[in-house]
Amino acid sequence: MKKIINEPSAFVDEFVEGILLAHPRLLKTPGEDRRVLVRADAPVAGKVGIVTGGGSGHLPLFKGYVGRGLCDGVAIGNVFSSPSSAQVLEATKAVSGGAGVLYLYGNYGGDVFNFDLATDMAELEGIATLTAVGRDDVASQPKERAADRRGVAGIMFAFKAAGAAAERGDSLEQVAAVAEDIINNTATMGIGLSPTILPTTGKASFDLDDGEMEVGIGIHGEPGFHRGAVETADRIAETLMERLVADLGITAGARVAVLVNGMGATPLEELYLLFRRVHQLLTEQGITIDKNYIGEYATSLEMSGASISLLALNDERLALLNAPAESPFFKEA
Amino acid sequence: MNGNDLSTAIRNCLGEFTSYSDELGELDRALGDGDLGITVSLGAAAVEEALAVLPADSTPAEVVLACAKAFANANPSTMAALVAGALLAGSKVWGASTSLADGQIGAFAVAAAESISQRGKSKIGDKTILDAMFPAADALVNAAAGESALDAAINAAEAGVIASKELQSRRGRASWLQERSIGLQDPGATAFLRFLQSWKATNTPAALITAGENTK
Repeated sequence: MKKIINEPSAFVDEFVEGILLAHPRLLKTPGEDRRVLVRADAPVAGKVGIVTGGGSGHLPLFKGYVGRGLCDGVAIGNVFSSPSSAQVLEATKAVSGGAGVLYLYGNYGGDVFNFDLATDMAELEGIATLTAVGRDDVASQPKERAADRRGVAGIMFAFKAAGAAAERGDSLEQVAAVAEDIINNTATMGIGLSPTILPTTGKASFDLDDGEMEVGIGIHGEPGFHRGAVETADRIAETLMERLVADLGITAGARVAVLVNGMGATPLEELYLLFRRVHQLLTEQGITIDKNYIGEYATSLEMSGASISLLALNDERLALLNAPAESPFFKEA
Repeated sequence: MNGNDLSTAIRNCLGEFTSYSDELGELDRALGDGDLGITVSLGAAAVEEALAVLPADSTPAEVVLACAKAFANANPSTMAALVAGALLAGSKVWGASTSLADGQIGAFAVAAAESISQRGKSKIGDKTILDAMFPAADALVNAAAGESALDAAINAAEAGVIASKELQSRRGRASWLQERSIGLQDPGATAFLRFLQSWKATNTPAALITAGENTK
């Protein structure tokens, strides 16, 4: 293992400290626990707060989406581990502006249990909460079991849209409905070329032979549905897009937002190769790309690979994506 | 039983209960990720600490709330979160009652089991803690007059633990073992049984839950 780290067990606390030192204008920690970050102006009176959270190792997911027009706070777990319910509760209290708090995070067992417990605790504090979980990874379960799918890069669309809805003054129920609407219209699939190395153990999260790729991989290295020889960028884009377009059921005349996401160690150039083919394919099918994002939005430490996400658009969803937002890792002017 | 009695009974029970943490850890190593022993021992220590500083006039629901928070904060494991949520659901049944009648113990157990069932998306027969909890809760609610409801609950939980050995795990990491899980004893269900047995062993007489004075 080669990594730029100090004490492996201090990895999370030290990078969080670095983020706080770099961005004091945008972020703060509300108490003693550095595993809770909130936007610097939290709580915003009268605004629905949005709290996200999950394991570390995915920057800019989840911490990177805390800011104006996005989420208000985040509870930070160890690498690939859930934060505690107490951390979620602390974030909840710190961002509660009196209009309730939405929990918006990815569909993983540990996170669900801890956020659910935090809803009980928040209720005792007199804070109303609703929950929406990202479940966009179409490779993780078939369409008929979509409620059990994992949440991956496509949750970024939900952060953006729900954040914009909260910022314009929507009620808790409305913000939750926006998040659900986005989640129900988002589909993501990824491929992995090399594994993640966990800082604490120094071990690879999975084995993959030279020259092989895993299709349908998750952001913790969860196996996909196919392992085979690495294919060309065009062929990879075709494989992923065929499934995504079918899953969303979109046809000629549809409009989409496209996210081509790097998993941590894949060059931007390669992501643009993928986008090129995505654009060609959608154009051939008469589907319009109204908005695109190309870069790192949800990573898995140094995994190399990429995912493609599609969000089926309408005017409302596009307007929410286009609303202003600012965090240290994400800007929409 | 008022809040202070409940707090004392819980603290009495926890010392005995943590003596089972090695057994629970071993069972969990075979079926899960092996952290149940740690969850139990760290959680119990945190609960004891929290109860020690709780005001003596706390209501039973406040006692359980303190337990739930301490248990969850001690260890952010799935089991801890489910148990803490179950305790909170149970304590809601009690509301602001300052003293518990026996019927309220059974109602607590039912609400707690239903919370785990809902949050954990599990049911009886999935080879989880619920295989001991639901039968024990039923026994608490339905114990015959004069019968010790606690004894009835222990018998029901034990029968559930034994019966679930032959089942295949349907939830959590244990489900990944598929048919290899058959024959192994479920650590969660065992933990619940051991808790009840610890309660009986350390709180005599078991006046706490005797159906004879049931007010339901």
